Amino acid sequence: MKIITTLAVVDPDKCSGCKTCYAICPVLAIRMENRKAVIDEGHCFGCNNCEQRCPEYAITMVSRSEPRVVEIHVNRFHPDAILDLCISAKFHPEQVVCFCTGTRAGEIAAAIMDGAKTPEEVSLKTGARTGCKVLCIAPILRLLYAAGITPQKPDGIQWCGNTPTLWDISAETMAKYASHGFCFDLDKNFLEANLAYELGKGENCKCQKRP
Amino acid sequence: MSKTTLMPMQPRVTQYGIAPENLKMRAVDLAGMTSILVKELFPGIPDPVYPGNEVSVIREHATAAISKVDLSKIKPGDSVNILGSHHGFTLLGGEPYAEVLRTVRDIIAERTGTQDIRLRVGVGLRFRESEEYIKRFELDKYFDGKAEGIAPVDRPIVIETEIGALYGLKKAYDAKWIIHTHNSDVREVHFHRQVDRILKPFGMSYARIETRSTYHHNLGPRGANFIARAIFDSPLVQEKFIAAVILQVSPSGIIGIDADNDIYRQNERITVESLNHYGRLVRLLNKIDKCIAVIDCPGPIPYTFAGGLIFANFLSANVDPFDLDLPLTPYCFFAEMAYNRQGQPRFPGVPPINPSMKAVINNYSFKGYPSSFFAEQTPTIVVGNEMAKLFESCPQNPEYMKHAVVSKDLESAVKFAQKIGDTDQIIVFDGAEGGINVSESLRELMTSKANEVSEEVKQDLMPKWLRQRNVSNRA
Repeated sequence: MKIITTLAVVDPDKCSGCKTCYAICPVLAIRMENRKAVIDEGHCFGCNNCEQRCPEYAITMVSRSEPRVVEIHVNRFHPDAILDLCISAKFHPEQVVCFCTGTRAGEIAAAIMDGAKTPEEVSLKTGARTGCKVLCIAPILRLLYAAGITPQKPDGIQWCGNTPTLWDISAETMAKYASHGFCFDLDKNFLEANLAYELGKGENCKCQKRP
Repeated sequence: MSKTTLMPMQPRVTQYGIAPENLKMRAVDLAGMTSILVKELFPGIPDPVYPGNEVSVIREHATAAISKVDLSKIKPGDSVNILGSHHGFTLLGGEPYAEVLRTVRDIIAERTGTQDIRLRVGVGLRFRESEEYIKRFELDKYFDGKAEGIAPVDRPIVIETEIGALYGLKKAYDAKWIIHTHNSDVREVHFHRQVDRILKPFGMSYARIETRSTYHHNLGPRGANFIARAIFDSPLVQEKFIAAVILQVSPSGIIGIDADNDIYRQNERITVESLNHYGRLVRLLNKIDKCIAVIDCPGPIPYTFAGGLIFANFLSANVDPFDLDLPLTPYCFFAEMAYNRQGQPRFPGVPPINPSMKAVINNYSFKGYPSSFFAEQTPTIVVGNEMAKLFESCPQNPEYMKHAVVSKDLESAVKFAQKIGDTDQIIVFDGAEGGINVSESLRELMTSKANEVSEEVKQDLMPKWLRQRNVSNRA
């Protein structure tokens, strides 16, 4: 759940029209008009991204008169469908994917089932990726791809592309680095056991110990 | 402040914190506070070269260390990026790290003849932080206007690695050559697990959001730092890498500079050193049966310091975070993601946040790090309305204050915490140098356990930690 308490405001006298804010806004709330950034107040999620990267310090954050809450209700969708999508992306539906907003994998799945086809649309429906803007892009992309969606990139640098997971690393690579302290196989077993736990598919989680 | 306490790190003006004048009282000024020096606890940890000497000693050590490094690939007119991280500036006030950066610049210019030397400093989750440090230490002037803070949302560059495409920050790699300039502080052992520790910025400070998110979600809790190795070993980085210059840190302060063209050889040396020095203090925190933790330092909550350790180390002190048999540390993102909506672990095997910490008092810290989890897991008292407002306005902490209570002043907060915790043992994370400000009772406890811990580390833990990492003690 995202509680939006602030709003970005542009000082047009300072704005140089460089488009930095436009290129990084995670909810596409900024447009350029007459070479000046214009923020859609209704769309702004108060994430500070534009304010933090504006090279001219032309953007400030102000308090909203009324906080706005953004959340998606998972129970609008069939739990099996949520579960299937999450499991295919190797997530437990209750697994937290956005640590700032507390958004869980099941909520991202619900947003996708509600029509979101890009990370930006996921953010608009859930609030995820509007806190630190850093930590949760990978799981969002994983869930979109798991749903069979190849998200269309926005006209900016909001995100680049899907990235590898533990399940993509070859056995050969895992073996090559095992002696250096990278416990890929044990981590994989651990995460898979935890994924299965509560889902009625397997044994209780047992922490994987080295032999 | 009594004669037996150590000077806490001073508050500073920053967009991420309250105004220094709004910090009414420091924890060190509470009645009954004293301190304990790292040297008293563990005489085997070497004396620091800083503090204790002028900062010029850092230049002397850096110059000596870099004299052994081959810079011959760099030709006059070549561009060189000195890569740094905000982390370095949080150590001992930041001046030692700033001096390393200046020295590296001067030596490159002198030995290679090039003048196109840039400074690129990465950040964590507070995107202007490095800019603030660059201004504070006047590095922009020193680098002839070529010093810049870089943030994970900045323009990307694709990096093809052994495990697939990852993404770096274009400005980190926009020179012909790079010099990696970092520190050996144990810091986020909950993330890197002391595996390839000095390589970590390649997967973080110099990396885009996709890469950093991959680190925290896509690999496992013990394999995450492989991201840094994968990027370092990539053709892009190998083509540019010249050397790494590492500010060597121990819990007592700066102990030297290590510079090398071979980062893996260097990493082995630093791994042995860090396990030996930090391992003891981390294990000593494990012996604290109950206490109240006071956060009182210019930094975000998990990165506030006591005795050279960060608060995040204390959150996980109920386990051995260096032990790779243990999948999860109590605090890391792989642990945080495993909690349900009621704040309980969803499956067995998730160690709780250090239960010896009966209450946390947040007297002074910065916003800009997701910290709601900490307040949800441990009773938290925030001192003063200014601090409460700071966290309420932070997009990374929309629910922090939902789990915390506000106290009018620090003394009232301590009284309340003592009622909750039924203890007079207090540990303060205030950035004091060379030791920890604690209550008398906690000083007694820590002193009484230090020898036992030293023996445990020497006899049992060091051999295991090194074996798990395939590192020889002779490294």
